[in-house]
Amino acid sequence: MTSAAESLVHIDHFRMDFAGTTVIGDLSFDVQRGETFGFLGSNGSGKTTTLRALLGIYIPTAGILHIDGRPFTPESGIRLGYLPEERGLYKKESVLAVMTYFGQLKGLSKKAAVAWSTNYLERVGLGDKAKVRVDKLSGGQQQKVQLGVTIMNDPELLILDEPTKGFDPVNRRLLMDIIEDQKKAGATVLMVTHQMEEVERLCDRVILLKGGRAEAYGTIPEVQNQYGGTMIRVGYSGEIPASGHYEISLRDRNYAELTLIGTVDEALILRDLVDAGVLIRSFTTSKLSLEEIFVSVYGDQNEMAGA
Amino acid sequence: MGQHNLRTVIGFEVGRTLGKKKFWVITLLVPIAIGIVVGLVTLGNTSSMSNIDAQSDAKLTFTYSDASGYVDPAVAAALGGTPVTDDASAIADVKAGEEDAHFVYPADPATTPTQVYGIDKGLFGNGEYEGVATQVLITSAQDQIGDPALTTMAQGDVSVTSTTYTGGEEAAGFMGVIPPLIFLAMFFLTFTLLSNQMLTSTLEEKENRVTEMILTTLNPTALISGKIISVFIVGFVQVLVFLVPVAVGYLFFRTSLNLPEVDLASFTFDPGQMIVGALLALGGFALFTGTAVAIGAVMPNAKDAGGWFTALIILMIVPLYSVSLVLSDPHSAVVQVFTYFPYSAPITAMLRNAFGSLAGWEAAIVITELFLLSAVVLQLAVRLFRYGSIEYTNRVSFKTVFAGRTARSLARG
Repeated sequence: MTSAAESLVHIDHFRMDFAGTTVIGDLSFDVQRGETFGFLGSNGSGKTTTLRALLGIYIPTAGILHIDGRPFTPESGIRLGYLPEERGLYKKESVLAVMTYFGQLKGLSKKAAVAWSTNYLERVGLGDKAKVRVDKLSGGQQQKVQLGVTIMNDPELLILDEPTKGFDPVNRRLLMDIIEDQKKAGATVLMVTHQMEEVERLCDRVILLKGGRAEAYGTIPEVQNQYGGTMIRVGYSGEIPASGHYEISLRDRNYAELTLIGTVDEALILRDLVDAGVLIRSFTTSKLSLEEIFVSVYGDQNEMAGA
Repeated sequence: MGQHNLRTVIGFEVGRTLGKKKFWVITLLVPIAIGIVVGLVTLGNTSSMSNIDAQSDAKLTFTYSDASGYVDPAVAAALGGTPVTDDASAIADVKAGEEDAHFVYPADPATTPTQVYGIDKGLFGNGEYEGVATQVLITSAQDQIGDPALTTMAQGDVSVTSTTYTGGEEAAGFMGVIPPLIFLAMFFLTFTLLSNQMLTSTLEEKENRVTEMILTTLNPTALISGKIISVFIVGFVQVLVFLVPVAVGYLFFRTSLNLPEVDLASFTFDPGQMIVGALLALGGFALFTGTAVAIGAVMPNAKDAGGWFTALIILMIVPLYSVSLVLSDPHSAVVQVFTYFPYSAPITAMLRNAFGSLAGWEAAIVITELFLLSAVVLQLAVRLFRYGSIEYTNRVSFKTVFAGRTARSLARG
């Protein structure tokens, strides 16, 4: 775990109760400067609550939630871009008016805000919608506008709560490109998402939240190792013997998946199988995907459809 | 940055309100309605004047019967009248179009109406008959009195000027009451026009789900303050729009509208009363605006907020229903309660201030109370907005809003 001084986001023993119900039990993690951090968890696991408490919107029951060494306020001085889960803009105003307003509130001059907004709208294919009222746009178009509002102050810290929710694959790719650009420009990104391919593409480290506590925390390889680490896929003839080095997680007539227990050299497994008289046709090793880990962690929960 | 954000909020809020067609349609409805009324009145008065002019060179011919004996046949003849004794026959002539009109003067014209029968000349043209019938009586009476001054007095067309004294000094009287009442009128008008805008100003962030974006971008105090100032600016624009036709009507159509000439010199402006009136209006406006904003922050939508806001308005105007008590017995228990209860205080105190029954120390207490409570309510509104407006679909409880203070302190400790 990094020290609080190195971290842009520092959460220590955070606890949140609502009406006597504990939503977050005891959560601690850090987000380092310049990294992209995936904040993962099933619906209702407390991700949005944590972000709102971090941003001072909720008052924590206990714990420390710091951004850049202190509790966040709009006057903290840090350039923050926050895309909340609850999307919303001033619906009766034009796209350009809303973007300019937020740009000015984020410290841009009116001229700079208009110029930035115009360029952004062109980039996301909404160049002809600048004068259109927000409520005349489709849901996806409104989300693009909102993402623009989020990143228009060249944020040091970008907090994105399900940024691609509701997007088609083409626009999802476009938005991920935009987020990646922010990352390359030096922004620290804290991202909530259920899209594991986005996490694997962008995130340096992740945390898996379950029952208000950190179920797993670290780099993606570290988390993969924590959840069984390596999987061996074997095409074979014969009989695969039982072993203390692996579990047979799937076995068909000529195909098996072996999940390694602990740190074991794959070559040793191969030699054991050959020594046991198994005719090996193929032998590949791979890590568990984040999606597989996610399903294994939350698969026993019935809260996936919950809030 | 704080000032920059405040200016940005004000610019955005004022700009988008004044930029909406709906705002101008609603705002211009009032002066247009005033203009239509002015036009109709002007038209009516012009028509009446035309009737009077027409009477001067009356082409009208009429018959009349006189049971009173007051009608001077010479006067009637000069105005085109011919005496008859058979009313039925004369009315038949009018019906047949052979005579313009027939007047039946009763035995006592002072208590019994004179009956006029005439050929229909339309809504405004028919006024000529009544004008001539009345003129015959008035001129006949003036001739019998024989003195124009007596005639004027008999018509009650006299004026009286009163001078009263209080504490050995000449009292301002009615002309001293009107200037401080202007603040009451401004307070009431502004609140009536802007109440809906006050209420919905924070509801909009909630209903549009903009709250989280806002709370992480600027201090809610700047937002709320900016919105209150914007409401005031928009209200000022509306009042100006309303006053323009009034000013134009007075300056250019005063004569045709029969408006009295206002001589500012005749009003008495007591500096103390004026300052107290202004402070009461300002404090009252701040208190009601802050409360409206707080209600908007607590309630999930305009419909739910409406009920609470109605209660607020009732509290504000309830002294107007007891105005006679406020004026006649300002020290009664009821009026004292109205004077010091914050939400009925502005109107009660402004009324008492205008009519001179609000002592200096009472004014000081009420003004202090209004400004202090406004500051508290504003802080409450900010807190409710900060921690309540995130409850997009629920009504936030005060317990929820205030429960976290200790936890926050611990977290930061």
